[in-house]
Amino acid sequence: MSHPKRMTKVLIAGHKKHLETTIDALYEADLLHVEDFVEGDDSDFEIGMPIAYGEEVSRKLVKVRSIANALNIKPTDETVPLTESHVTSELDAMLARIDKEIDQNSEELSGLDTRVKDIESAEKELEPFLAYDLDLKYYKGYDNLAVFSGTISSLNESRLLEITDAYQLFTDSGSKFFVLFVSKNFEKSIQSVLTDMGYREMKAPDKSGYPSDIYAALEAEKSEIQAQIESLIAARAALNKEYGNFILASDEYLSTLSEKSELPLRIATSEHTFVIEGWVPTNNFGAFTAAVSKKTDNGVYITELEVDMHDEKEIAKIPVEYENKKVASPMEEVMDLYSRPKYNEIDPSSILLISFPLIYGLILGDIGYALVLMTLAFCVMKFVKSDAVKKLMYVLIYCQISAFIFGIIYGEFMGFPLAGMMYYGEHMPGLIPGLETIVFNYSLFYGEPFTFPIYRPAMIMTFLVGTAAFGFLHLNIGFIIGFFNVKSQHGLKHAVLEKLSWIVFEIGVIAAIVAWYFELFGTAGIAVGAVIAVIGLVMLVMGEGIKGIIEIPGLLGNMLSYTRLIAVGLSSIYIASTVNDIAFGGLLWTPADGFSVMMIVSILVFVLGHSLNTVLSIIAPGLHALRLQYVEFFGKFYSGGGKAYKPFGHLKKYILEE
Amino acid sequence: MEISTEGIVALSKAIAIVGTGLATAWAVKSIGTAGVGAMVENEAVFGKALVLAVLPETIVIFGLVVAILI
Repeated sequence: MSHPKRMTKVLIAGHKKHLETTIDALYEADLLHVEDFVEGDDSDFEIGMPIAYGEEVSRKLVKVRSIANALNIKPTDETVPLTESHVTSELDAMLARIDKEIDQNSEELSGLDTRVKDIESAEKELEPFLAYDLDLKYYKGYDNLAVFSGTISSLNESRLLEITDAYQLFTDSGSKFFVLFVSKNFEKSIQSVLTDMGYREMKAPDKSGYPSDIYAALEAEKSEIQAQIESLIAARAALNKEYGNFILASDEYLSTLSEKSELPLRIATSEHTFVIEGWVPTNNFGAFTAAVSKKTDNGVYITELEVDMHDEKEIAKIPVEYENKKVASPMEEVMDLYSRPKYNEIDPSSILLISFPLIYGLILGDIGYALVLMTLAFCVMKFVKSDAVKKLMYVLIYCQISAFIFGIIYGEFMGFPLAGMMYYGEHMPGLIPGLETIVFNYSLFYGEPFTFPIYRPAMIMTFLVGTAAFGFLHLNIGFIIGFFNVKSQHGLKHAVLEKLSWIVFEIGVIAAIVAWYFELFGTAGIAVGAVIAVIGLVMLVMGEGIKGIIEIPGLLGNMLSYTRLIAVGLSSIYIASTVNDIAFGGLLWTPADGFSVMMIVSILVFVLGHSLNTVLSIIAPGLHALRLQYVEFFGKFYSGGGKAYKPFGHLKKYILEE
Repeated sequence: MEISTEGIVALSKAIAIVGTGLATAWAVKSIGTAGVGAMVENEAVFGKALVLAVLPETIVIFGLVVAILI
């Protein structure tokens, strides 16, 4: 159980001539969370102007990003950081050069693209004439002959014969393309007859030579151009390889400058001075002050400001940074998914480290699924570089370790029991032949004997009571954390009345029930319990008002909600056995039927059913475990809503420290 | 037709599950739609939308507990 990192409020003031060096120093220190200055009517300060170099930097940044976009530059394994002096000395010349090369490349590329389109349209024009091996020059230039070429919907030669028999007709049975040579005397009448038959003219291309030869030449030219296009694309990829590293480094360098140049927009300035307010982790305050003073030659005044820890508005401004042991830090991602803790609230990450995997394992409890998911998590961690994803994978791995342990306790592998057992008077074989469930001569509820491994469907009542009891414990841990939260925020009296009252009430109720059930101390036992419960109730009303009483049935609902630990697990067991029953239980097919079509259907049902169940088994425990934390557990103490700590400055990835 | 106690018990269990199941489905549908709508506006509400969407699942869990206890 820990609090978020302690923060100190810092004020930095100085003459404007030191502003640039101060900003450089702050950026380098990478510790100050700047609090944005809000202009007010009663203040002589106003928001500052960006530093002069900002404009030029933004212009270059736009260029760098457009180059990165054009060349599709992304970090690779070969990306190495460059020194800042390397980047600054070459930036302008390099940008101009890369820009020119890209322009040239894309100009050539678009020229070639146009040429390919031209060739393709010429080919399309030529295609119909390929069917007739006739030199294109013969399609025109006659004194006494008319030439018709084109498509026709239905050619009726007898109608042509009615006019004349002095013609030469070429038809192609596949397409409706035809060519007709006829004496010029009949041109008009033939034209009208053809129009009747649905004639659409297609003129021969204005070239000479055999269509097939021309076509082949076009094809050759096209493939040559395509080769050129490919080499241009390869050249572009080479540009990516050559300049990718430099562009990434320049992007980082320019982004840094741009961020620095814009800081004055977040701070207060007067005609000659500037004031920066912000937060620094208390542990780093000394180092921070020393570093900034040194860099600015003691030119600025740095001081710590008092924070009123009773002013909720002031507290809400404090940025929140987690402070957990390394092993618990992945749980911060689960916290962020809900809401970051407030500054004056206990950060429950380290409790989640235990309770979240525990609940997950209780629900899933399967050796097979645990191994599959663990392998998956390790694979994702190997291939995905993002820190947030890595942390979530760690959470998944913690959960799988727990699921594996419960898998052994439940003796389950991929939904099947490992050990054989007697269930409803019938012997069910397990996956491991010869391994039998050990039955202990001991039962807690409804005569359900304890066994190892535990087969959940045989111990439903025990689990129902057990999970609700588990929920009761979990909720009370919530009340205890809530007690410390309220104590540090509003004092002991409030903490006792608001949170401890619940525990007093519970103790009273439990005492009364125990006295009644086991008949201890007669009526006096019950009465003592009842009195304690009433005291708790009175405290609750004093602390939370009438709302507290309304929430009492809610507590019972919260406890019952934990019975999902058994319910969700059971549902996957029942789905698995139902699938088995449908597939091989005689409904469709049994092994006794021998080979048939229904066997394939059975196998299909089996595979589909179990895949569905596997996916559900993987998703459901995570969601339910998350929900029990967020709704039931957090409901007892957590409010959240803290602001993330984002220091001014950033990690250098592609720029080398000098 | 004779009505057996066993049949009535089975039927009661079915009603408990079906009723709560339908109620949960209906509630999750409404909340889920609104949650996705909110997430389009602001992705950071994912955690809260998830919590709201799974809240009604408790109804069907209660149904299951009742069905087991019958």
